[in-house]
Amino acid sequence: MNRHFGSRQAIGIAAVSALALTLTACGGGADSGRSGDAAEGAPSPGITDDSVTLGITTPLSGATAGPGTCTVAGVTAYFGMKNAEGGIEFGDGKTRTVEIEALDDTYDPQQAAANYDSLKGDVFAMTAGLGTPTNRAWREAAIADEVPQALIMTGDPIFSDTDESPWQLGFVPIYQNEGEAFGELLAGSSAEHKVAILSQNDDFGEGYVEGFKSAIEGADNIEVVQELTYEATDTSVDAQITELANSGADVIFNAMSVTPLTISALQKAQQLNWKPNWFLPSNTSSPTAILEPGGGAAFPGVYSVSFAKAPQSPAFAQDEDVQTYLSALKEYGNYPDPPAFPHCQWSWMVGATLEQAFTEMEEPTRDSFMEALRSIEGFEAPLMLPDTSVTTTEAGQPAVSTVVVQKYNGRGYDTVESFE
Amino acid sequence: MASSSKTSAPAASAPTSSAAPSSASSFRQRPWVRWGAPLLLLAGLAVLPLVGTESFNDTLARIGVFAVAVLGLNVVMGYTGQVSLGQIFFLGLGAYVTAYGVQSGWNIVLVFVLTCLIPAVAGLLVALAAARLGGLAIAMVTIALPIVGVPLAKRLSDFTGGSQGMSARFVEAPEGSGLYDDQWQLYLVLVIGGIVFLLTYFLVRGKYGRAFAIVKGNENVASSMGISPYRYKVLAFTIASLIGGVSGFLYMVVVQYTSPETMSFGHSIELLVAMVIGGAGSIVGSILGGVFYVVVPDITNAIDPSLTALLQGALLLAVLFVLPGGLVSLPRAVMRGLRRSPAGRGSAAPPTTPSSTPGSGTAAEPTETERQGSA
Repeated sequence: MNRHFGSRQAIGIAAVSALALTLTACGGGADSGRSGDAAEGAPSPGITDDSVTLGITTPLSGATAGPGTCTVAGVTAYFGMKNAEGGIEFGDGKTRTVEIEALDDTYDPQQAAANYDSLKGDVFAMTAGLGTPTNRAWREAAIADEVPQALIMTGDPIFSDTDESPWQLGFVPIYQNEGEAFGELLAGSSAEHKVAILSQNDDFGEGYVEGFKSAIEGADNIEVVQELTYEATDTSVDAQITELANSGADVIFNAMSVTPLTISALQKAQQLNWKPNWFLPSNTSSPTAILEPGGGAAFPGVYSVSFAKAPQSPAFAQDEDVQTYLSALKEYGNYPDPPAFPHCQWSWMVGATLEQAFTEMEEPTRDSFMEALRSIEGFEAPLMLPDTSVTTTEAGQPAVSTVVVQKYNGRGYDTVESFE
Repeated sequence: MASSSKTSAPAASAPTSSAAPSSASSFRQRPWVRWGAPLLLLAGLAVLPLVGTESFNDTLARIGVFAVAVLGLNVVMGYTGQVSLGQIFFLGLGAYVTAYGVQSGWNIVLVFVLTCLIPAVAGLLVALAAARLGGLAIAMVTIALPIVGVPLAKRLSDFTGGSQGMSARFVEAPEGSGLYDDQWQLYLVLVIGGIVFLLTYFLVRGKYGRAFAIVKGNENVASSMGISPYRYKVLAFTIASLIGGVSGFLYMVVVQYTSPETMSFGHSIELLVAMVIGGAGSIVGSILGGVFYVVVPDITNAIDPSLTALLQGALLLAVLFVLPGGLVSLPRAVMRGLRRSPAGRGSAAPPTTPSSTPGSGTAAEPTETERQGSA
């Protein structure tokens, strides 16, 4: 009998809660917030005559919270500074302030899609969010809703393919760009080089290797002597390093995205007394977090690529851009410490690039914004290194596709013109 | 079997059973209430998608997805007492099967059948080995599923799209129905999820449910009554996997994208937390668990997006501290509180007020003080 009471009570509770939900739903106007019924030329959601709201979904808690927090801090600081100056004059002649609404997705695609759904009715455009799966989760929904997914932080090439992603644009260089930049430098060397490749067995590693190989294709002085892979979940690459050390290579192209593995790979090579030149991707080449514990100074050269000035680097300590940036980050970005991740700088540049698009857009619509966003050429955003720029007109390329190769100098990085 | 069901009743139904006054239960036994309440519920659910806003419908649909996943977990854990930390793997497997089937252009009914069968077979194979072990050893085996699943999904990129995941937008409102996509999605979730809930409801109330309860209570007792604990553990695990697969299908209906992140180990723990918070061994608790899983991140995001993890942890502790039986025990706790307060004020409380019904004695210790109060 007991069970019968329980079940009937259960149904009762369910019925009451369903009714309650229905009533609340009736209260809040039906069918509001469904897109697609706006008249031609009418302002898009999220923009008024004196303000525009941007949405971000990014990991603010969990394992990727560090870089994720940076993706919000930089752009918030940039527009906080601009708002304090009175706002930004848009292409339609009106001056607007820019508000940011950021939500945490914990790097969970499902939560990212939910965040997008809750933001899309209120924001003019989505921007700056970090992560490949978390951006992919709502890419097709954004296309269907015609909501811009602009200048996001992923190296996934699909976001830079205008045919597949008409409402998207990636900001950071795709993996291929980075591998290619190093390959070109190496191919331009006067000496002969034997290259060993160690890459992560996923789209990250494959992208780097693809870019590198396309750059050294036809270069007679470069020979790839051995290629090995590892899994992102592996806890050690000692076996791979030992095998590669026996190949007699004088350059190792290491497309690795895992910090502890990169450190142990550097250490293992030193134990084996193998001292090649290293190439490391931009996200695993931090001087303090990786090269110091890994003993990077023991090698003749450690190379990486970059497009942003590093605030920690003594070379830029007096740089005007860097000082403005650091003080704004503290004042408006809710980020009091010096940034530990390059994503803060990238996000700051996203702010500057968005401002460029805003000043060019002639109507307060998402269409006009995308058009303006796709017509930026050779824009040198603040914090950009010489020889890099934002160009959004090239098909199949993200907003920043040029990177410069840099060499570790024992403390930070210096841009190099040729491979010595 | 009569005696066995008596033995099992308190253990099986303790979380769902109520200490409701008899007047209320006789009210519920009236025919128009018995038939009216479910009909009203059905009508409410049928109208619901039409009146909600898009984001409201979307939230409800996602609650449905994870309520089904939590329900599966409840079958193996709440009702049969076997700790499973691998439920998210079956959700992910179901989602991948759906995405692959849709991308290959298979008939959607066939895809649905496969999303039931493949996870069920996978669950059966795991259970055949895992159910031989007892207690926490099963937890250790099932913990391996998401841990193996993520790299596997990245490695088998021909089937899974690698770490970039797979999109499948296959749910569009049929032409001429006049429905928006989000309304159609919610209807699909309500119908499929509703059927799963109904079938599970009958399953756990019937012969199998009683057997599960005995296995949960004491495996030796089960064996002595001719109920093979091994067989029923395998059965419960297989059903849980099948339900997990269905929730994966619904996941694709609503989210329309899956990647290795979908089945990351952390989500398996979150499902477990949702089940405990909602109420273990309870059908309504599964729905509440789904609500918790979906709504809490949204709420914490609205409060302060940079403190979501902290707020969720605090909320979890608060709920477990105040309501150890989960959210489903809230009405009971409230009623108990209401009944206790007049009794506490003086001995004027009428002794006829039933303070405890048979069966609730196992539920919680406050009943002891109630007995003293009314005696």
